[in-house]
Amino acid sequence: MGAEDNVPLDDKARRMRDLLSSFYAPDPSTNNAPSNPGTLDAINTSSFDADQYMNLLMQKSNLDELLQRHVEMAAEIKNIDTDLQMLVYENYSKFISATDAIKRMKSNIVGMEANMEELLDKIMSVQSKSDGVNTSLFEKRENIEKLHRTRNLLRKVQFIYDLPTRLGKCIESEAYVDAVKFYTGALPIFKAYGDSSFQDCKQASEEAISIIVKNLQGKLFSDSESIQARAEAAVLLKQLDFPVDSLPVKLLEKLEQSLGDLQLKTDDIENASMEPNDPKLGKVPDSVHIMAHEGSIRGFAEAISAYRVIFPDSEGHLIKLAQDLVVKHFETVEQCVKGRISCANLLVVLRTIWTDVLLMDEVLSEAVLPEFSLEAAQNALKQHVASTFNYLLHDISDVLLRVNVSSKEAAEENPLQVALEASKKALLQGSMDVLLDFRQLLDDDLGLLVQLRDFVSDWVQEGFQDFFRALYDRFFLLSGRKSSSSQDQGLTAGAHGEKVLAGLVLVLSQLSVFIEQTAIPRITEEIAASFPGGGARGYENGPAFVPGVMCRIFRSAGERLLHHYINMRTQKVSTLLRKRFTTPNWVKHKEPREVHMSVDLFLQELKETASDVKQILPQGLERKHRRTDSNGSTASSRSNQLRDDKTNRSNTHRARSQLLETHLAKLFKQKVEIFTKVEHTQESVVTTTVKLCLKSLQEFVRLRTFNRSGFQQIQLDIQFLRTPLKETVEDEAALDFLLDEVIVAASERCLDPIPLEPPILDRLIQAKLAKWNEKNPITP
Amino acid sequence: MQGGSSGIGYGLKYQARCISDVKADTDHTSFLTGTLSLREENEVHLIRLSSGGTELICEGLFSHPNEIWDLASCPFDQRIFSTVFSTGESYGAAIWQIPELYGQLNSPQLERIASLDAHARKINCVLWWPSGRHDKLISIDDENLFLWTLDCSKKTAQVQSKQSSGMLHYLSGGAWDPHDINAVATTCESSVQFWDLRTMKKTNAVERAHIRNANYDMKNNHILVTAEDESGIHIWDLRKPKSPVKELPGHTHWTWAVSCNPEYDGLILSAGTDSTVNLWLAPTSAEEEATSESIAEPPAQHADPLLNSYSDYEDSVYGLAWSSREPWMFASLSYDGRVVVESVRPFLSRRVGVS
Repeated sequence: MGAEDNVPLDDKARRMRDLLSSFYAPDPSTNNAPSNPGTLDAINTSSFDADQYMNLLMQKSNLDELLQRHVEMAAEIKNIDTDLQMLVYENYSKFISATDAIKRMKSNIVGMEANMEELLDKIMSVQSKSDGVNTSLFEKRENIEKLHRTRNLLRKVQFIYDLPTRLGKCIESEAYVDAVKFYTGALPIFKAYGDSSFQDCKQASEEAISIIVKNLQGKLFSDSESIQARAEAAVLLKQLDFPVDSLPVKLLEKLEQSLGDLQLKTDDIENASMEPNDPKLGKVPDSVHIMAHEGSIRGFAEAISAYRVIFPDSEGHLIKLAQDLVVKHFETVEQCVKGRISCANLLVVLRTIWTDVLLMDEVLSEAVLPEFSLEAAQNALKQHVASTFNYLLHDISDVLLRVNVSSKEAAEENPLQVALEASKKALLQGSMDVLLDFRQLLDDDLGLLVQLRDFVSDWVQEGFQDFFRALYDRFFLLSGRKSSSSQDQGLTAGAHGEKVLAGLVLVLSQLSVFIEQTAIPRITEEIAASFPGGGARGYENGPAFVPGVMCRIFRSAGERLLHHYINMRTQKVSTLLRKRFTTPNWVKHKEPREVHMSVDLFLQELKETASDVKQILPQGLERKHRRTDSNGSTASSRSNQLRDDKTNRSNTHRARSQLLETHLAKLFKQKVEIFTKVEHTQESVVTTTVKLCLKSLQEFVRLRTFNRSGFQQIQLDIQFLRTPLKETVEDEAALDFLLDEVIVAASERCLDPIPLEPPILDRLIQAKLAKWNEKNPITP
Repeated sequence: MQGGSSGIGYGLKYQARCISDVKADTDHTSFLTGTLSLREENEVHLIRLSSGGTELICEGLFSHPNEIWDLASCPFDQRIFSTVFSTGESYGAAIWQIPELYGQLNSPQLERIASLDAHARKINCVLWWPSGRHDKLISIDDENLFLWTLDCSKKTAQVQSKQSSGMLHYLSGGAWDPHDINAVATTCESSVQFWDLRTMKKTNAVERAHIRNANYDMKNNHILVTAEDESGIHIWDLRKPKSPVKELPGHTHWTWAVSCNPEYDGLILSAGTDSTVNLWLAPTSAEEEATSESIAEPPAQHADPLLNSYSDYEDSVYGLAWSSREPWMFASLSYDGRVVVESVRPFLSRRVGVS
């Protein structure tokens, strides 16, 4: 409400002001901007036309509005009238007071002129009197001045005659400062009159001065003298016009030499890195060493401050020297970082450097050493973080590669399990150690690091991000899936040189799952706890470590690697089956006598898979009831009977109706999902492998044409497979379906599909089973 | 990715493996397919998509003496096609001509123009040059590559040259380069070999095991797509045969057939024994590669090359053919004898950039 009321009020006031100002304005044209006379706003302009305005108003408004307008206008007119009246009154009163003031002024001025003339006369008389005094004293003053000048001259002459002896005294008492002061004082006189009246004096004092110069030089270059003394000497020499430019160069060279001693040696740092391993022995000499180092740095700083006093021009040179020192320090640090160095040791080194820098900064703040070293330290730390992660990566891949070797030797019972546990440990322990290590960097209150704290936590986070990414790449490299062309050529060659083991792929897959489910959350937690958000990175870039993305990547990696593992296994079986189906001439196959040995190989392969899987993967949650106690033969003969019925029937009918029948059967049978999602469980992996192999078997069968015996051979092989497969596979329906499909495919591709007689089939299978059990004693 | 079955179906009486686009038929979208039945009388079906595009009509039904393992339509005469057939024990290949049809469907006999009967081994496929009229034919058996001269008017086919693939290389199939009339690729157990037909010499090879099928990109020279049993689909630039340009995951089980779209760049169909047909978009041109190769992005951020997966099949899909007349249509054939013609239009506009 208030706002609404205010607006028209303000409006009114403004209009009033405008009107008044236009009234007083000298030039009516400066009035407010001319507005279109055709609108109702034209009332305030000079070009206001009352008739037009009325017309417009009448046209535009209805009665109510007109009435309202009328009321408004009447009120406004009244307001304006009173305002005008008030203004007129005010002006009038001002006029009156002004005339009063003018009248008073006139009466005051009248008597002033006479007073002024009196004043002028008095001033004139004062001036004439003071002139008289001045002239009377002038002569005496000139005389006094003359006498004074003569006296001064005489004193100077006396001083010059005394100079040689005085210099001699000074030399004796080593008061070179005084000597130089005297000599330089006398120098202008010697220059003016040295060839005439004061020749002897000049010679004598020059001799004395040359002695002084010699002494001073000696002092300057003698190391035994204190820096202050040397500085003094240098200053004096300079005052004596001695060519001092060559001096600083010589001295700086000396300083540079001493710098060499100050450099931190990589050995020292390595010594330092030995220290934590050997706390009893290493600590003492190290701290002694550090103390010594500090002492020499202090000396260096003093020297610098002295030199600055002595040679103000040499500042640039000194800055360069100091920066060189810092650069060298950091070079050694970088070398250390390249090697493996723990944060604690790095800290020790950095701390030494920082104290050095602070000391030097005190005397040489122009060199901006702290900023300089901050930058260098930033680089060094960054490198350190990068190299630490690099080593972690190497550690993990080393552990993984060991799988290759150790499982080849097959010395251990469960090489894969061992490898998985080892690599899990390496990963988690490694990253925890790394975090702990970096935590030290953060906790330290070293000035250098405090400023870098935000950066460090960003780098660590970034480091983890990059590390996991690199690990991801490495996994695929190790699994041999990617013929990576980009990086790590050496390692690629190593990994590709020998054939990648299927087991390793499975380990990698499981490790990916572990990373996704355990490692990343742990690390995220740890980072959140001890590395409070960097923030230096800026929010537009988002956080440095994004666990969500990493988890997703590793989840997909786990799946891909698992698929890869299954693929590798099935590929082996495929090769086996391909040979099995391409070698014999199936159209001229002989009668089946026993189960073909390829079945053994197939089962062997499956067994290997199962043993791989058993070592590493968890068991599935819902396990089906397994018929472990039934010995299999009865079950197989029973199902046998059923099958025979079916095949017999289909045999008697024509093949066309057989096809129709299978189609119909498929219609009524629930569509068996053969290719389901693979999970990270033992059963799922084995089942998927078996399914894929059986599907391959079916496809191979479909590509061939069989005679009766060939078909019977297939029938026999499949029938035999039924029992052992059922014991390993969780999805029996799909298994049955696939096995049946193989037999159907074989019968479709058979010229004369007459199956084996059940008793013969049974007998052959029994024989094979007996042989099988003989070869592979049943393992519990 | 599921979606209802949008395809138009057509059922064959028996199982079947091969389907071919009738390229020479410029008035209709038609396909030829032949059945694979060991013990029955096999048929060749000429199927035509109705003008409304809602139905598949059988335009001709011809009996064929043996089960058909490979069928290819002649690219310049819509009435001529080739088949590879088997009696179970022996193999043969022949060129057939569809007799003039007068609207009646009384199973007229196919006219055999020529028999390609110089083979001693199992014949795998017969190839026509895909890009136009050419009087040569290629047939591939397990061990040999034959170049035939075909004269349709005289109804003869003569072996012009023949080359053995060499010891231990069992050929399984091949593809004729649409850009080069003298270049042919053959697949064998451990590699893809490239031949120059003028000299009948091997010019190049890509070492890769278990390649099921190979297909040249019709639009881009030097690009070959291969389908492999276990390891999916690979796209090769033949100038750089060491490693593939691209890799697609393929199918859950074997990837059986692969086919590049004749019109749209990078559009690839694959058929697999997991009873699905997958539609991929994998452009191979250089600038595409440059943009997608941003290493900074995590791999998950890349656009999924899989546009769609057609999974409405009951059995393994072996036959696959793009229509060259309507390049957004394709026909697929599953082993149970079901032809499904689908349009990929819904997936085109979004990513391929074709309205």
